[in-house]
Amino acid sequence: MSLTSLSAFEVARKVKAGELKAVDVAEAALAQIRAVDGLPGSLDGGAVSADEEKKVHAFIQVTEKMALEQAEKVDQAVARGEDAGLLAGVPISIKDIFCVEGTTTTAASRMLSNFRPPYTATPVRRLIDQGALILGKVNLDEFTFGSSNESSAYQPATNNPWNTDHVPGGSSGGSAASVAAEEVALSLGTDTGGSIRQPAAFCGVVGLKPTYGRVSRLGLIAFSSSLDCPGPLSRNTRDAALMLQAMAGVDPKDSTSSTRAVDDYLSTLGQDVKGLRIGLSPDYDAVYYPNFETGELHKEAIQKEVHETLYRSAELLAKAGAEIVENVPMPNTAYGIPAYFVISRVEAASNLHRFDGVKYGYRTESAVSNLSELYRLTRAEGFGPQVKLRILMGMYLSAAGHDADYYTHAQKVRALIRQDFVRAFEPDGDHRLDALLTPTTATTSFKRKAVFGNSLLMQYSDQMTVSSNHAGVPALTIPAGLDEAGLPIGIQLIGNDFREDLILRIGHAFEQVSRDEAWRKVRPQVLAGEVKA
Amino acid sequence: MKDYEVVIGLETHIQLNTRTKIFCSCKADSWEDEANTNICPVCSGLPGTLPVLNAEAVQKGALLAAAMHAEVNPLSRFDRKNYFYPDLPKGYQITQFDEPIGKGGYLDLKMADGTKKRVRIHKLHLEEDAGKTKIEHGTRLVDFNRCGVPLIEMVTEPDLRSGEEAAQYLIQLRQLLRWIGVSEADMERGHLRCDANVSIRERGSQVLNTKTEIKNVNSIDSVRQAIGEEAKRQIELVESGGKVESYTLDWDADRNKLSLMRSKETEADYRYFRDPDLLPVKLSREEIAGIMAALPELPLERQARFVTEYGLSEYDADILTNERSLSDYYEAAVGAYTGEPKAVANWMMNDLSRMLNDLGKTADQLVLGPKALAEIIQMIDDGKINAATGKSLLKKVEESGSRPAEIVEKEGLGLIADSDALRAQIEAVLADAPDEVANFKAGKESLLGWFVGQVMRRTGGKADPKRTRELLLEMLRK
Ligand SMILES: [Zn+2]
Repeated sequence: MSLTSLSAFEVARKVKAGELKAVDVAEAALAQIRAVDGLPGSLDGGAVSADEEKKVHAFIQVTEKMALEQAEKVDQAVARGEDAGLLAGVPISIKDIFCVEGTTTTAASRMLSNFRPPYTATPVRRLIDQGALILGKVNLDEFTFGSSNESSAYQPATNNPWNTDHVPGGSSGGSAASVAAEEVALSLGTDTGGSIRQPAAFCGVVGLKPTYGRVSRLGLIAFSSSLDCPGPLSRNTRDAALMLQAMAGVDPKDSTSSTRAVDDYLSTLGQDVKGLRIGLSPDYDAVYYPNFETGELHKEAIQKEVHETLYRSAELLAKAGAEIVENVPMPNTAYGIPAYFVISRVEAASNLHRFDGVKYGYRTESAVSNLSELYRLTRAEGFGPQVKLRILMGMYLSAAGHDADYYTHAQKVRALIRQDFVRAFEPDGDHRLDALLTPTTATTSFKRKAVFGNSLLMQYSDQMTVSSNHAGVPALTIPAGLDEAGLPIGIQLIGNDFREDLILRIGHAFEQVSRDEAWRKVRPQVLAGEVKA
Repeated sequence: MKDYEVVIGLETHIQLNTRTKIFCSCKADSWEDEANTNICPVCSGLPGTLPVLNAEAVQKGALLAAAMHAEVNPLSRFDRKNYFYPDLPKGYQITQFDEPIGKGGYLDLKMADGTKKRVRIHKLHLEEDAGKTKIEHGTRLVDFNRCGVPLIEMVTEPDLRSGEEAAQYLIQLRQLLRWIGVSEADMERGHLRCDANVSIRERGSQVLNTKTEIKNVNSIDSVRQAIGEEAKRQIELVESGGKVESYTLDWDADRNKLSLMRSKETEADYRYFRDPDLLPVKLSREEIAGIMAALPELPLERQARFVTEYGLSEYDADILTNERSLSDYYEAAVGAYTGEPKAVANWMMNDLSRMLNDLGKTADQLVLGPKALAEIIQMIDDGKINAATGKSLLKKVEESGSRPAEIVEKEGLGLIADSDALRAQIEAVLADAPDEVANFKAGKESLLGWFVGQVMRRTGGKADPKRTRELLLEMLRK
């Protein structure tokens, strides 16, 4: 088995045992990046050669020097007999929305193309403290606004390692692709409406959106502050548990971080799922689009193979001893996207106010005659179209007089969505669920340019994931099969507040019970030719 | 001309004297510091940073609310006020919009004629300050030092009726802020800033007419003058058939002139919404009780008590409660003194206040503590020293830090009350003046004063005058 195929857990174990040098892990990761990643994303990256079309393009910036220095430190600590940390020598990529001292932190936007933060985000700091090697910053939709990675100002945007004509999903597309293409073992992403889980599902990897507040947001460039959650992407649930263990916990510099003690996710991971109650909801069988003339909701069934995979997975979990509870009503699921549309855009418009060309980041090069012209030109030139759309929407929705119609109303819907989950998980309620099992996405990955440009349709690809952001509850996506085109299908486990331990444990049980299935032997296109041990 | 009255509401911004800023750990006060030296990623609005609320700012804000007789809200929230300006690095100001820390409240002003005037509070909330910008050599410069300094914004109802009343409001608010210790309230340093809303109406009318807002009336004189000017302008305008428009005006204190800043109609929409980065501010019943308990007796209450409890005149009580440390000093001195409280008041309003002025100190900064003052007055009462010695002792105690009795002892300043010693001095005086003694004995008793003077001269003023008189009579009549 090649070094880059090793799980994070194995790498850390071997490095700490002295069986493997962190420097060799770093070198292997760098070699893999050189082999499969192709040109890094850049501001003037236009059309690329046919050969480059087949590359992953996950990275905007490879931090070779940083990774090697960190590896050196880990090896020295091991040599001194010290504990080198939970993630000793594990190669990790960071979504380029996290501030990391010593890197340019772009948010995949021209606006921050020259921004070098003087501090490091708390989750990144904690990964480094546990011995992780930071291999670089990976691509995303500009300011995380999108579900395909295509809106990045840094082109070429990331491709799906399973089929490079397809999108990796988004906004943590670079994260998911870099893990799937075995450039790194782990990646740090963010999830506001599904931005970790949708690309993880599209790229056939594991993605976890923790409970809101479980992982500090300090150093994460905010999209929608009340919804944003940093979280891990990995190739298996044990690695996700390991990475969460390293990052979770209160941060005195983030008032919204939870003071609740962090569970030991690794120790309970291997326990069986006998007697655990796992719910299925008919409200996740379809996607609902509103008709904007009438307000009526149109129902569209989810992709057939996704639906089949979901029910087959439920059977496998039942075989492992779980109790499947059908027909759990989640009646407000259909309103998740409209409410998200309002809340996320109002918060985003405000969060983006600070990018004005005055202090840092892009400033127009044209001569300006007054202050408002400086603002106007800087923001017109610095932001891409998706960002401008969201600002315009957010400004409109929060304007005086509209507030009561939109934002306040959306907050009420949000409370109703949370109520659905509270009822489903109630220990003495009708359903008493330990987790809700749903598809992660309604379809598998779509082709590049197939949806991009239709920001509405793009938004609706988050329908299965967005409710857990509204409710604040944790949600995990794990690979569960491939469709006829050979594209990965993800299933989602949604848990109660702070029950990451339970959904990881169920996900792990699923990995065990589906261990010998044929689809698990299939490798992503960009790794074809390599032999999986 | 009709009879007009002026209707005024004041909007004040009060800088709380916390050690650090409201949402980060930078030093709060940057007076005379270099530009951009008290800043960090949080208060300069770097992406990814988050605010963490300073508990001291909440405490002081709540204390001020309590002192204004406002209801301290057990639950208040922070909102974002969104607008673009270079001195606002995040592009929004964190403030409290619809669920502020204080609700209602009032300040009772004592007016020159002895009456009281109640000014109601319309709004009282916590917020962060913005930075400063200036143009130098055609370049706009920004200083973020002031960004994130904790402020209380306090807006009155339109209850004031003249520039003089507005000035009184500021004077008495400033006194209160210092009294409860939440702000240095130094207007020159911008700790207390003021904007005034001014309109006019016919006396007796209850309508509120279109008002103008005067920005930057940042001294007591400015408030008085700017409001006077603006009221005059509005009256002349209306009398000549014009109409008051909703302008924002700027007061230029150097030239005593109002100028137009902008027409109000273009006012921005701030798109307020809850700041999702901060949790609601919760104050438990116990915490609020603790704040109320920490609230000292307020100036007007204390003044009234001084009149009833110590028998002071309104005038004396007013002066002694002008400033909290002075009134604390007074009470401590009265407590250590067995005579009339009025005697202590006299000393403090004359000799002690002169000393405070000369030294530029407040009462709590004096080395000469209230007990030492009481001791000095007591020694005079007891005939141990004379009044002149008492006065000179004030300075000596302040400079040396020694107890008054020690100084009297060491420097031999005590009066000669010892009968034998005094008798010897008197005998010497009588021996030197046989003619006067004879005259006295012949009935010219008015000479007694002359004899006392002689004894005083002989003893360098240290003879106890009362005792001297007694002994003289005794010895002359023998
Ligand atoms: Zn600061």
